[in-house]
Amino acid sequence: MADRHRPPAIKRLIGSEHFAGWAFVAPAVILIAIFFLIPIGWSLLISLQANNLIAPAHYVGLANYKALTKDPAFRSAIGHTLLYTVIFVPVSVGGALALAVALNRKIRGIRFYRLAVFVPLVTSTVATGLVFLWLLDPTFGFVNYLLHAVGLPQQQFLQDPNEALYCIVAMTVWGWLGFDVIVYLAALQGVPEELLEAAEIDGASKWSRFRSIVVPLLGPATLFLVVWSTINALQLFDEIYVTTRGGPLGSTTVIVYYLYQQAFQFFNGGYGSAIAYVLFLAILVVTLVQLWVGRRRVYYTS
Amino acid sequence: MVLDAPPEKRRRLPFSPWHLLLAPVAAIMIVPLIWMAVLSLETKTEASSFPPVFLPSGLHFSNYSSAWHAVPFGDFFLNSAAYSLATVAGNLLFCSLAAYAFARIRFFGRNVLFVVLLATLMVPFQVLLIPTFLIVKKLGMVDSVGGLIVPNLCTAFGIFMLRQFFRTLPIELEEAARLDGTSRLGILFKIVLPLSLPALATLAIIQFMWSWNDFLWPLIIINTDTHAPLQLGLSTLQGSHNTEWNLLMAGTVMSQIPMLAVFLLAQRWFIRSIAFTGIK
Amino acid sequence: MKRACLFVVLVGALLAVGCGGSSSGGSSSGGSSSKSGATKGGHVSISIWEGYTQGESVAIKKLAAQFNASHPGITVTPQFYGNSDYALQKVLAAIAGGKPPDISYLYGSNAANIAASGKLVSLNKYVSDPSFGWNHFYKVEREVATVNGKVTGIPALVDNLALVYNKKLFAQAGIAPPTANWTWNDFENAALKLTDPSKKQFGWAYVNDASEDTVWRFWAMLWQAGGQILSADNKQAAFNSPAGLKALTLLQQLVAHKSIYLDNGSDNYVNVFNAGHIGMLWTGPWDLQQITASKVSYGVQILPAAENHQTISGPDDWVMFDNGSARVAASWTFLKWLTSPKIDLEWGLMTGDLPIRDDVAQQPGYKQFARKYPGIDLWVKNLDNATQARPVLTTYPKISTVVGQAVQSVLLGKTQPQQALNQASQQVNGILSAPS
Repeated sequence: MADRHRPPAIKRLIGSEHFAGWAFVAPAVILIAIFFLIPIGWSLLISLQANNLIAPAHYVGLANYKALTKDPAFRSAIGHTLLYTVIFVPVSVGGALALAVALNRKIRGIRFYRLAVFVPLVTSTVATGLVFLWLLDPTFGFVNYLLHAVGLPQQQFLQDPNEALYCIVAMTVWGWLGFDVIVYLAALQGVPEELLEAAEIDGASKWSRFRSIVVPLLGPATLFLVVWSTINALQLFDEIYVTTRGGPLGSTTVIVYYLYQQAFQFFNGGYGSAIAYVLFLAILVVTLVQLWVGRRRVYYTS
Repeated sequence: MVLDAPPEKRRRLPFSPWHLLLAPVAAIMIVPLIWMAVLSLETKTEASSFPPVFLPSGLHFSNYSSAWHAVPFGDFFLNSAAYSLATVAGNLLFCSLAAYAFARIRFFGRNVLFVVLLATLMVPFQVLLIPTFLIVKKLGMVDSVGGLIVPNLCTAFGIFMLRQFFRTLPIELEEAARLDGTSRLGILFKIVLPLSLPALATLAIIQFMWSWNDFLWPLIIINTDTHAPLQLGLSTLQGSHNTEWNLLMAGTVMSQIPMLAVFLLAQRWFIRSIAFTGIK
Repeated sequence: MKRACLFVVLVGALLAVGCGGSSSGGSSSGGSSSKSGATKGGHVSISIWEGYTQGESVAIKKLAAQFNASHPGITVTPQFYGNSDYALQKVLAAIAGGKPPDISYLYGSNAANIAASGKLVSLNKYVSDPSFGWNHFYKVEREVATVNGKVTGIPALVDNLALVYNKKLFAQAGIAPPTANWTWNDFENAALKLTDPSKKQFGWAYVNDASEDTVWRFWAMLWQAGGQILSADNKQAAFNSPAGLKALTLLQQLVAHKSIYLDNGSDNYVNVFNAGHIGMLWTGPWDLQQITASKVSYGVQILPAAENHQTISGPDDWVMFDNGSARVAASWTFLKWLTSPKIDLEWGLMTGDLPIRDDVAQQPGYKQFARKYPGIDLWVKNLDNATQARPVLTTYPKISTVVGQAVQSVLLGKTQPQQALNQASQQVNGILSAPS
């Protein structure tokens, strides 16, 4: 830098990157601190109490957490949640990528197709639950009707402890695909035409253009969707609540549903909060790992 | 970027082969909407039948006006509109500011702060319900649309998503502007945001949809039925036994239409036509 | 820059509209006025939280308006609080915030826990008023409303399970319709005869979502076989008995013959019944209007007996919170009015709900009620068969979950009845002996 008067310290501070950064994030941080961080802190306190959400509570230290380590129902819930997540995330993100590429073209009716993919997203969970309960009814449901028509055996679906969780996967993939698709669609707009044209001129096939240009450029969006889908999958609740209520025989009891039962059916508010905290720590660890992998593997154009 | 089928290939089908994939997928996706629409045009007995009746005896459009009048539908719409529009505006503004800082400004504690904000997405709402209620109550906003809005004015979701998008933008434009002396705020509003319309439109759609479909928070915070937004209001049509499905579905279909309309409108921004990419 | 300003203005405007426009509602609704309650020269406003929808919602609003007109010093405002699960969350939030409603509808399943909070007004001195007629309320209601000697609620709803059958299916199968002397054997034979998988026809329906809906039917069967849920001191499980085994074995047999339509909890069974695919239901008055509106020619009968014809009832209560003496007094005035025989009959006429007291049947106009809802009279008389109530314990929800899983396990054919009972009673004993 050329000779310059150094401005006074306060001006340097205000002009600095640090001040600018914090100024920009200030409104968001204030809002999130008030409406998220404070309640999160509050529920941490509750997790250290024997609290039935009504009468005054007393502190019990880490007793709730100790009880969790010995709770077989909690372990089952963890198992169900992990199984669900491990299937849901790749299927929904991968499926959405394929669908977004298909939807990103100018053929007749494309607007209608995009709207159709968006529809399940706006359908309320209650309505979605009802549709699937009907579709998968063991006696009168449409899916069993189709199976019967092609000679396959009737399934119990949501009434079968071995099948119910997979039905929930199908239901949530169907419901959430549109979300991932519109994020990918938006990201696809940022893939420069020139790169693809140049590659085509060079003789690259459609598939290799997709694999070597489009997919890497969609890295940031993919990372976002994987992280977001994982965070959501680990907190699955609504779809369980409107269909199986954690059954049959507890086979669809996922962690947040178990938390809900403890807090609002058994009035164990402290225990429920402890479950939430363990889940929170687990999600945090998983997310940090994903972000770290992403840092190494995801390509940002800047 | 929009891909066309290459014109020189001879078509074996009279239409693009993509229809073979998209049509069945679209059909599967809209099954419930069709089903709800059919139910909304049936009589109460038909609508409660199981197995369901697909061909109603007649088209009872009167269900729609009945649903509208059975509950203060106009109020529900207005409350939902205020709630959704305010949260969209708030998120677009506050998340853009924050995401830009996370994407482009190196400031002290940036990474830790980002993780802290992201962490707020990781706690299920069931445990935050009561504390959030107590805070809104302290602010004196119980049973008001304002009480619906303020906790949702800015969430980490938008910050995370926009940060990812901003980072994909070529930094040269911004660096050039800085050298020209443009302020950071100016860069954000004159360069970054106009290039990010698809991402902003996506955030707007998603936030609109979340607010429009929100049920649990409105239930906790609203007491008077004229202050209720749509999903809460519609739940008064849903009995634990003996629901009038035809009315409920008519109400539900009416409540979906604005979201679908918002989506159609916003498509203009998040699917750019080729002509628009000439921004460089 | 301009766009930013626009945004800020927009957000600000919407917030102003949101807060200013509607917060007037926030301050005038009964729930948030001052604790002393008496405002404006003795006029009292009270709020009543309920989850009524459709017909019942119309009824409560109408009756509230009627009360307000005839009691100029009090204004009652009904407010909708969602269905039972969500309602609980809302009530808990309100209690935490220190501003509970004045009156709230409370589902039986939550009664013991909310009562244990100590926040409910104890109603003993009110119900002992002779003009109230506490003894005219059915015994099972009074039992559920009394926790550790304290009367914590006034009945809001009473029901019971009775047998509803499809006359046409009985005629087609050549079976004599159910009588008041039916035994379990008669019931089982009828169910088996009415089963026809080729026509997707079932003899009976049972709710199989492992919730209390699954459990309370089993309790009815247990009682009919002479069994008990818990020991007299509520310290031990008593359902692992010959009676319990008999009940679960009946379920197992019928399921094995595919005689039972297993409902997943969405209450579709009544729609399937109305479509003519189920022969018999054990259900309550809540399904009556739908069944009457369908084309099914139905009959109603009391439940079959193994040793007795007991049925089970699920009373829900109105409870009162203490927001100051003026509002408590006004709340009591309203509840006493609402549950008086004349008004309760009006309620029944509008909604089809059973009378909550036994002197309603003597009111003029009761015959109109029985005519309007064909078959309802049997449920009213069946209340005399509801001689026992479920234990009112804070641990009951956990017990319900355990037993629900056990019954579901048998219904899905995964466990033998005796094994299910052994496991369940062991777990329940663990729950009952745990320090609270």
